[in-house]
Order: sequence, then C-alpha cells, then structure tokens
Amino acid sequence: MDPSGIFSTSYARDSALVRTRAQWLALALFGAALLLYPWLASPRLVAVANLMLVTSIVVVGLQITTGYAGQINLGQAAFMGVGAYGASVVEVKFGLPFWVAVPVGGVLAALAGWAFGLTAARIKGFYLALTTIAAQFLFVFVVLNLPSSWLGGVNGFSLQPARLGSLVFDSDRALYHLFLFSTAVMVFGAFGILRSRHGRAFVAVRDDDVAAGMMGIDVPGTKARAFVLGAFYAGIGGALWAYQIRFVSVDQFTLFNSIWFIAMMIVGGLGSIVGALIGTVLIRIVQEGITTLGPDLIEFIPTLSSDIVFASMNVFLGLVITGFLLLEPKGLMHRWNIFKATYRLWPFPH
Amino acid sequence: MIIEFFNYALNGALLGLLYSLVAMGFVVIYRASKVFNMAVGEMLVVGAFLVWWAVQSRGMHPAVGIGVALAISVLIGLAIERLLFRRLIGESVFSMIMVTIGLLILMRGLVLLIWGPQERQFPAIIPLAPLILGDLIVPRSLAAGGIIAVVCAAGLHWFFNRSRAGLAMSAVAEDHQIALAMGISVRRSIAFAWALGGVLSVITSMVYLSGKSLTFLSSEIGFAALPVALLAGLESIGGLLLAGIIVGVVQGLTAAYIDPLIGGNAAAVVPYVFMLVVLIVRPTGMFGWKRIERV
Repeated sequence: MDPSGIFSTSYARDSALVRTRAQWLALALFGAALLLYPWLASPRLVAVANLMLVTSIVVVGLQITTGYAGQINLGQAAFMGVGAYGASVVEVKFGLPFWVAVPVGGVLAALAGWAFGLTAARIKGFYLALTTIAAQFLFVFVVLNLPSSWLGGVNGFSLQPARLGSLVFDSDRALYHLFLFSTAVMVFGAFGILRSRHGRAFVAVRDDDVAAGMMGIDVPGTKARAFVLGAFYAGIGGALWAYQIRFVSVDQFTLFNSIWFIAMMIVGGLGSIVGALIGTVLIRIVQEGITTLGPDLIEFIPTLSSDIVFASMNVFLGLVITGFLLLEPKGLMHRWNIFKATYRLWPFPH
Repeated sequence: MIIEFFNYALNGALLGLLYSLVAMGFVVIYRASKVFNMAVGEMLVVGAFLVWWAVQSRGMHPAVGIGVALAISVLIGLAIERLLFRRLIGESVFSMIMVTIGLLILMRGLVLLIWGPQERQFPAIIPLAPLILGDLIVPRSLAAGGIIAVVCAAGLHWFFNRSRAGLAMSAVAEDHQIALAMGISVRRSIAFAWALGGVLSVITSMVYLSGKSLTFLSSEIGFAALPVALLAGLESIGGLLLAGIIVGVVQGLTAAYIDPLIGGNAAAVVPYVFMLVVLIVRPTGMFGWKRIERV
C-alpha cells in the first residue's frame, strides 16, 4: 500500500519497485553504506558479510522455487554444490577465468534443477519434497564415486583466486565488492522475473495448480522453470562460494545446509525477496554468535563438552523452524508490512 | 554360486522387512493424521536411548525396562501432538513437512545434549547367534525383525481398514476439515498416531540395534527407509512389506555383485534411483491413494 497522496498515473509507475522519494533516499544511503562497509569493519566481519552475500543469492533462488512457485525443495544445497563443483572444474581443468566459470556453474546447476523440475511436473506435495531429498543423496554419491581425478572424491578440490586483468581477488576485502555487485544483479533480476508474466504464473501455480491449469497456464512448464531458476541461483551462489573458500568438498553441501536455507526463508517470510535477504542475515548472525560464543561457554561451564556448539546449533535450528511455523508462519516481512500499513494509515484504523 | 545368490537375496529381503518396519513409522502417522513424519529416524534413536537407559544404565530387567521405555515414548508422542500438531490442523503441506523436519533437528540436538555423542553398547535383547538353515545363514535379529514386521503389518492393516476407529482415522488422513464435519475428533486421532509412532519406534529400535552400538547417527535408517514408504505409497500398510522386500533384495544384490565392480557404495543410492523411476511412472507409489482434485 502506498502512502497517502501517491497515485500511479502510468503502468510503469504502478509496477515500479521504488515508489517514493523517501524510498529512493533510503536505498541510496543503504547502498552507500554497503559500498563503504569493508573499510569500516574488521576483516572477520567482512568475511561474514561475504558469506551472507553468497548465502542470500542461494536463499533468493529457494524463495523463487518454494516461496513463489510453491514447489518444496529440500535439495538447494545439492544444487549449490553442483554450481561450486562446476565452476571449480571449469577453472582448474580448463583454466578459464572466473567470469566464465561462475556462469557455467550456474548453468550446470540449472540443468540439474531442470531434471528435478521434470519430476515436479508429475509429483507434488510430500512426494516432491522427498524426491528433492533424493537429489541430495545422489549428489553426494556421484561426487564420491566418480574417479577422484575428476571431482576430487573425498579430498575435495582447491582453487586459485579469481583474477580480472591485474586484479587478484585473494582476500575477503577484495572479494567483497565483487560479491556485492553479483548479489545486487541477482536480486534485481529476481524482482524483475517475479514482476513478469512468469512470476505471476509461479504465484498462480502455488495458490492452486489445478485452477492455474484451467486458466491456460502451462503448469508442468511453470514448475520446471521454477526449479531451473532456483537451481541457477543456487549454482551462482555455489560458484561464488567456491571462490571465497577456495576449496570445495561434499560435506559443505549436505541436507543439513538445505534445511538451514529453508529456515532462513521461513524466518524472513515465504513469498518475499526482501524477506529472504533479512532471514539470511539474521540467521547468519546467530550462527556466527553460537560459533564464537560456544568455546567461551565451555570455558565458563567446564562440564559442557566441545560438542555443545553442534548440539545447540541443532536445538536452535529446530526451535526456529517449529517456532516460526507455529507462531509467525508468514515470517518477519509480514510483521513489517502490518507495521508499515499501520503507520501510513495512522490515526485511522483502516 | 546359486546358494550364495539365495543367501544374498534372503538377507536382503529380511533387511528390507526391517526397512518396512521403520517405514511403518511414516505410514502409521500419515494414515491417522495426514502428517508426513520426517523425524522417524530420530524417534527411533530416542526410543533406543530410552531402552538403553532403562536396561543398561539403570539395570532394570529387560521386560520392565522395555515397558518403561514404551511408556515414556508414548508420553513423548503425546507431548509432540499437544505442543506442535494440535496447532497445525488444516495447515498447508509445507508447514506440516517443515515442522516435522524442525522436530527432527530439535530431537537430534536434544539427544546430543542429554546423552552426548559417545557410542553406547545396546543390550542384546534378541540373541546374537545367527540362524543356520541348511546352507543359508541369517542373523537372528533380522529374522525376528521380519516376523515382527509381518505381524505388525497384519495387525495395523486390520486396524486401519476394518475397525471402526481405524476407518475414522483414515478419514482424518483424507481431509481434516471433512473429518471434523463428520464428527471425528482430529485431535484424538493425531494424538493416537504419535503415541503409536512412539511404540513402533521402540519396537523397531530393539530389532535394529540389538547387540550393536548406538549413537545419535543411528537415525540414518530413517532416510534409508524413505524409498520403501514412497514405493509402497504413503497410505498402504500391507504394501510396505512388498516394497520393503523389493528394495531390500535390489539393495542386497547390488551390494553383493555391483559394488565390487565399481568399487563404490552403489547399494546406498540404488533404492533412491529406483524410487525416482517408480515415482515418475506412478506418482502415488504402488498402492497409494489416487486423489481426485477439484478446484
């Protein structure tokens, strides 16, 4: 809902993402803060921010598949893994630069997503959720069982830092602006897709696929497209991740990671791109908090063993998922939207 | 050669029946509440730790200890219904499935906090010496598991398809709102489902872990049993036995004949590939209900 006195006089204005001058100003300030961030924060915090940027690309992809098109995907980490491995192979075996390797990783992940999108065309609900778990197991199996000269097997794979001309992206501070730019492009792209015909088809299929089919929407095609897009985002995120960590192995892309991504989406709110970003940032902050505080806590209470970090991560993740679904199933963005509507209408109740 | 083949096939089939016993945990809860319980593996581990705690740690007589474990397990099942699923009646598939995944992770964390990650020796409730039938060698726990699986399947099949209470629960599995309109208590049905799930998890854990070591990672069998439940179709209890035997035999023969050829662990992934193929051809599994959808 727009504030009082703002009227759209053309279709372009009506579908605009940024609607008021105050919003332009806020966006500009936020962008400037993001650009200046690496000079203001410590190297550790820059590394955390990089991780958040990469993760938010993956979660935005999940938001497209699950939040908008309603296709449950428990295998997002596997698609991310396909992107990471794809980019590493292109870089290490063929020696291509990173600006080729990253899109190739995305396209390979999109192909994997397409294969599972085809099953989604016939299967739905529980059965679909479970076949995407199969994607997770198949990914691990394939990587571990191909000859280790291809994908590194159990030992994983090391990469060279990304290069662009004379620029070498070998530190978190150097990578930050590259990641920020990529995330901005991907997020803007997601907004664009979701405002288009395809985005409306996603929402129609999510709300009722039988009714959507009767209105002339190509339901199997739409489901397949949702998976392809979501997996493409995961692949790009995975490829960038590979360049940040400069090491890939299968245990970075487990079912557990997929569940974390879903938790991030639930916390932010299903069906909201901004929600995906907010959820990612909040959950990552808590994860960092637990990992940093864990060892201190063990020193403080010596009866706790060193597994307390892993155990409390589990308890936290379980509580977040069940708590949000029971108490605030629409996520934090829903709360924020209610608040925004209230202050725009104040002092009137509605 | 041929004896060896039969030995692999028979052991595979019995392992498959153990999977179908685990998968019964999925189907029983689904048939009475329309909730697909992803936390079956974790419930099994909790049941196993309860038996271990009562029999091994507290030193109770096995019969008493198992009784205590069953009682606590039922209480946990009822608590899960009261705290989580009572509020979710009529919610979307996504919420239901994600809450059970949240429950899975939560239970794993709590098991780690309470009992820690150490390996524990699970009491040998079923004797360890293998059964020898002519040339065939069968572990006694698997043989007992096969018999228990068949008995449980027969009993539950009768309950859900013939008895009045079971048919009322089947109505809940079809549609919460319509069941409510017919005067069926959805709450009581879901509570019963989770209590039954608790009982099954204790029984299964004794068959699966008898005499083996127990850690929080024993829950992996929950995911290994997934293909069995999907292959049978989520609504069919009798079909689980057939699906379990198919998956078990395929897996057993893959482990015996294909794994040495490729030098990898294909047996772990074959059930999933098999399941994907079946689901693409028949999306509701072999014996699942075909739902007719209206706008």
